[in-house]
Amino acid sequence: MFNTLKKGLFIGALTFLSQQTYAQQIQNLLGSVKNDKGEHVSHVTLRLKNAKGSTSTDAKGQFKLPAVKSDVLIVTAVGYEVQEIPLTNVTSLTITLVPSNARLEEVVLTGYSTQKRKHIVGAISSIKAEEIASTPVTGVNQMLQGRVAGVQVSANNGTPGAGINFRIRGSNSINASNEPLYVIDGVFVDNRENISTSIGGQAQSNPLSDINPSDIEDIQVLKDANATAIYGSLGANGVVLITTKRGKLGESSKINFNTTQGWANAYKKFDLLDGPTQDLLSNESKYNTAVDAALAAGKDPATVAQIAPNPAYQNTYDRIDYLFRTARNKSYDGSIIGGGEKTSYFVSFGYTDQQSIVKPSGFSRYSGRINLDNKVTDKLKVGTTVSIARTYRNISSNDNNAKGVINSAIFTRTYLPVFNEDGSYAAWGSFDNSNALIDHLNNNAIGFRVIANGYAEYSFLPELKLRSSWSIDNNTMSEKNYTNTYITAGKATNGAAAAYENQGQTLLNEQVLTYVKSFGESRKHAINALVGNTINYSLNQLTAATGTGFATNNLKDISVAAITTGSSSRAEARLISFFGKTTYTYNNKYTADLSLRADGSSKFGANRKWGYFPSAGVTWRAAEEDFIKDLNFFSNLTLRSSIGLSGNQNGIGNYAALGLWSSGANYLGLAGTQPSQLANPDLTWETTRQVNAGIDIGILKNKISLTADYYNKYTYDLLLDVPVPNRSGFETFLQNYGAVRNSGFELGINTVNFDRNDFRWTTNFNISWNKNKIEKLASDITLGASGRNTSILREGYSINSFYLYKQLYVDPQTGNAVYDDVNGDGKITTADRQIVGKALPDFSGGLTNNFSYKNFDFNFFIFFTKGNSVLNMQDFFMVHGGTQASIGFLPRQLDRWQKPGDVTDIPRMTTFRDDPTANNSSANNYVGNVASLSSRYLQDASFIRLKNVSFGYNLPSATAEKIGFKKVRAYVQLSNVFTITNYNGLDPEVSATGGNQNTAGYDWATTPQPRTFQLGVQVTL
Amino acid sequence: MKINKLTIALAALSFSLLTSSCEKQLTLNPTGAISDGVSIVDASTARAAIIGAYSGLQDVYAHHYPTLGTMPADLVEFNGSLTEYLQLDQNSIPTDNVKTVSAYKALYKTINIANSVIAKIATVSDAALSTTERNTILGEAHFLRGLAYFDLGRGWGGVQLQLKPTENFDAIKGIKRSSLAETYAQVHKDLLEAERLLPEDNSTRNRAQKSVVRALKSRLFLYQENWAEAENYATQVINNTKYSLVESYSSFFAAPFLTTESVFELTFASNDRNTYWVYWYPSSLGGQWNIKPTNKVVTALLDPAQGGDRKALIKQLGNEYYGVLYNSISSSTDPAYLIRIAELYLIRAEARAQQGKLAAAAEDLNKIRNRSKVASYTLSSKAENAKGELLLAIENENALEFPFEAHRWFDLVRTKRAGAVLGLTNTNYWLFPLPFTDIQSDKDDVEQNPGY
Repeated sequence: MFNTLKKGLFIGALTFLSQQTYAQQIQNLLGSVKNDKGEHVSHVTLRLKNAKGSTSTDAKGQFKLPAVKSDVLIVTAVGYEVQEIPLTNVTSLTITLVPSNARLEEVVLTGYSTQKRKHIVGAISSIKAEEIASTPVTGVNQMLQGRVAGVQVSANNGTPGAGINFRIRGSNSINASNEPLYVIDGVFVDNRENISTSIGGQAQSNPLSDINPSDIEDIQVLKDANATAIYGSLGANGVVLITTKRGKLGESSKINFNTTQGWANAYKKFDLLDGPTQDLLSNESKYNTAVDAALAAGKDPATVAQIAPNPAYQNTYDRIDYLFRTARNKSYDGSIIGGGEKTSYFVSFGYTDQQSIVKPSGFSRYSGRINLDNKVTDKLKVGTTVSIARTYRNISSNDNNAKGVINSAIFTRTYLPVFNEDGSYAAWGSFDNSNALIDHLNNNAIGFRVIANGYAEYSFLPELKLRSSWSIDNNTMSEKNYTNTYITAGKATNGAAAAYENQGQTLLNEQVLTYVKSFGESRKHAINALVGNTINYSLNQLTAATGTGFATNNLKDISVAAITTGSSSRAEARLISFFGKTTYTYNNKYTADLSLRADGSSKFGANRKWGYFPSAGVTWRAAEEDFIKDLNFFSNLTLRSSIGLSGNQNGIGNYAALGLWSSGANYLGLAGTQPSQLANPDLTWETTRQVNAGIDIGILKNKISLTADYYNKYTYDLLLDVPVPNRSGFETFLQNYGAVRNSGFELGINTVNFDRNDFRWTTNFNISWNKNKIEKLASDITLGASGRNTSILREGYSINSFYLYKQLYVDPQTGNAVYDDVNGDGKITTADRQIVGKALPDFSGGLTNNFSYKNFDFNFFIFFTKGNSVLNMQDFFMVHGGTQASIGFLPRQLDRWQKPGDVTDIPRMTTFRDDPTANNSSANNYVGNVASLSSRYLQDASFIRLKNVSFGYNLPSATAEKIGFKKVRAYVQLSNVFTITNYNGLDPEVSATGGNQNTAGYDWATTPQPRTFQLGVQVTL
Repeated sequence: MKINKLTIALAALSFSLLTSSCEKQLTLNPTGAISDGVSIVDASTARAAIIGAYSGLQDVYAHHYPTLGTMPADLVEFNGSLTEYLQLDQNSIPTDNVKTVSAYKALYKTINIANSVIAKIATVSDAALSTTERNTILGEAHFLRGLAYFDLGRGWGGVQLQLKPTENFDAIKGIKRSSLAETYAQVHKDLLEAERLLPEDNSTRNRAQKSVVRALKSRLFLYQENWAEAENYATQVINNTKYSLVESYSSFFAAPFLTTESVFELTFASNDRNTYWVYWYPSSLGGQWNIKPTNKVVTALLDPAQGGDRKALIKQLGNEYYGVLYNSISSSTDPAYLIRIAELYLIRAEARAQQGKLAAAAEDLNKIRNRSKVASYTLSSKAENAKGELLLAIENENALEFPFEAHRWFDLVRTKRAGAVLGLTNTNYWLFPLPFTDIQSDKDDVEQNPGY
């Protein structure tokens, strides 16, 4: 019967329905539904409470439903409060919807199924894409910065499309990946870096930049074990589920067009000392060094002559001005959404182009999408999701690279001319000419990515469905670099070219059988269960070629180079999984949830390929209890708790468990092999055990709603590259050893502060504390800063700790730096290095305020982070006391100690070689054992940033309709408006060596975040 | 209903296919590496393994070892921006100095490959592997291991002697550091074996040969102050007509290399590059100029009475000089110069002088001076000064003959002259520190050098 009814509804045979109930004095109820802004709302479900009958509003918000007068109409719409309207003496009515804040009725996509938010056991945060889509960054993951409690996002630098650091509830792992799993419309997308051109030590790209944010409907962030365990071995770092827009059956088509035009600049630029001052400082250091040498030799220091300024060094040559530019951003998006009787569709195209504020980098993307769903029969539904993106990146090297653009501009001494007398580019010391790099660098990467999915869903019974889905993520990156003879790297070789073809493919097949049913008296018992399997195959292959020696700069193909080399490699991995999950809800109050997943991975040792990941959780909707209802205070009160295991296998080599001799160790044109790793047949899953306890509170009809979660994640059997004695011929051995704990508390508060007389003011606030601690490690692991080992992993401390000599003070009498002598032996040696800070924040969060008055809206968003440090490598290199003969000075060097009584943290400038272990001696001011690896260059990088301010205007719908539009909106937006911080570099949000996850928090000639002014127009036809 | 059945059938099929082939599907092998079980099993894998050992030595000698042999002394200096060079230049070398750590790692990596060859080649039964070739490969493995231990010994002092391939990390426990004498004794043992096994031909200069072993033995005896044997082995090599001093000094470091001057060099190619020149050349010529000749060596090289033709080792840019021993800027194919026949003359000169054969010693010294058009050295007329002055002359000749090769630092340490010449009186710093990570990961078995 129910089936028949449904069928009837779908073909619109309302008459059939009315005939059934005609006997009970049925009348046709006519009505329309509007939202709080007076706009018509389609797809509102109208259901009768007593009789069987329902309908939904059409595109103009109109509906018609046969009903008896004694019945009650239940109005439900996503994002609005449910209303019950008695139909006594009503024949026509206009319903005004009231927005709901708690989104309790909202249906949320969870792993392999959808559930009502109110029944969800896990910690899941949801974001509507429209709230963030206008942020002027390229990747949707970067847009989540500060928006979701428990998610820490920081950009490595300000270059569009560049790498970001994205962590859900902290870093679990040391050598395996800390990246979450991204699932877009059911496709597990490949988030591996696929740009081969080195840009100086950081992650080169954010692979999620391949997705057009305008296509996205919403984003779910799965955080706790209950939510992620169904993803088993892929879920330990959290899961980000991205759903793109899809049309609905019977929805009249809408055409949307958006454009933004932006202008960006640097709000702070490098401040260098002028030429004469750099010469003066250099001479002072040389003089002091000579004085020290004289004293050490027992000579009278008065015999040392002062060094006169070099007349050739009295000019100043600016390189910074040419380095920065006002960068243009533009984007154009168009889409059509709608649906017919059987088919619904969403088709879009997009183009975005963003320049970097530091020349010459830039990013552009063409994207297209076709999402189709087709009802073949009442029981069979098929659909496809196809997204294509073509990206273009102009890549330039900065950060830890002496030949980088920024490095060459800032490190070169300012008294050295930019051009030689003959007009050619001048290069000095270890550096290139930044103008030459800007004018002639020719590195570009063209990405082409297809993410496609096809599915078929068959309903055996209304409650029993089988869905089979086939997906591919094909990600190719084609890089062509040419270094011509104006650039020093190409000068020696008469031009140098490199090309890389990188292909990543992920193939995925999954079957899921779901059973959703309510039964018993008043449907008190509800079951949502599923079983399924997946096969996941991933392929990665790289072909690379280089060529040097070109006849002229106009020839750039490797095929015409005098000397060429080539290589290729391929790696495959497979993951086979079986999973099941069941959720039982009693009386809308109590929910219990159990899941189990088994994963087999080709990466692991013969003995330990399979891992099992169970989870369990319960929810109690206390607000449904009579004794809470009686309090008349809570509109929502839900307690949640869960525990479970999830695993991690990403980030390790595909063949990491095997004992191997690698090839390519060639000599004299003969092929050679070398031992590369020893076998570990016991290598297996890194496992994260997580407990979560959460509470959701809504009061004053959900005008104030709050979500708080406590979690404790313990990751054990780390996939750890354990250092082994070098005498073995190996450096490390990958084994399951070590443990990391992340524990924290996160809080999200949404309030409706004012909502009357067309004025609405809402606030969203979130804050997350995370404490990261290495619980078990074989031995200290030091790394970072080109072998300077300034980062450390040490048991008992946070990942990304800094390991330096702690400068206590500069002795006002001697001008020498005094360091903390940790072991108290009176000497300064490696043993006196200590942990003096960490790159991970204690807490971070965001505050958004939205105001709307009639057709105007205004919002601002503040992001903050506290407790993290940055090692300022500009200071390290440019407050060098004279040790770096070819590097200039920053103004901070002027604070150096000059005469007895000076109180400062910058010691006397000298490079005299004395006993390198001596404390409070000139030996360790800039050289010696300390060699400037001093805490004086480590700075607090906490900051508060006004990240976004936007002001928008919607044309009144009547006016818009008059000129033929459904909707017209225009807005202006300012991003990165200002930053409050004690950090003295350009930008505290930086991670120049983020390419290695264990060396976060370095600022090293890095592009800062741009300040962007943006205009946008959105129209809907 | 049709679709219904079809779907069920499909689902059942995919499930059953899946479970039956799971384990097979989960076994994947790489295409760029071989299993260690088949690493040395026939002629071709045995050949590949010994080539891998040479490749390991390339890693040692392309950048690291020549830097360690020069930077801590007085002929080259730090010119920015990499701290590891500054630390070497200033003789304040922390335990995690990148250069010392990299060289140490690469040396032991080479040793492990040599150990694998020595342990496994006897098990190879392949008609394609003749006895001669088998002996040659084994001899090469012994030579490479001996050379690696020699370079460890003179840099770090007595080290842990690994003589078996590492097959698991528990099995290597319990090996403590040996004394320097024991380390050199192991080197001697390996060289004896290599000398016995290796062939000799008239042209090979980039793989181990009998004469190469003898040359290294001569050097080993010099370090052991066994003057007679040092002289004996130097003479054996000098008398081999395969080797002679090139007429023009600069021709040994010009392409195509492999001159008669060369006893042993490691060849690089455009697809097997040595980019050491980058560290010596100014950025305006495409380099990074981290390493720069000191004023002291520049002055001496430019002095016709000292440097002579050897001034070709430096070039001028503005008021400054850069070193051009490594100069293949367009192809990056500079060899690593391990042993030149000139060294054997100077070894013999020193060994003879130490034995009181001053005239013969001066003759060897003058061979080197005259080749670079520097006037002959004349022995002091005062008999009591003659030997000391001659030894000093030989030391200075070594400095100018090999200023950018791995010599000066090790010579000054060997002759205990680092204090007098460099002002480095703390003898603890005459040895490099063992890597920080080894002290951490090998706590039970290793001890750090004193002073670090």
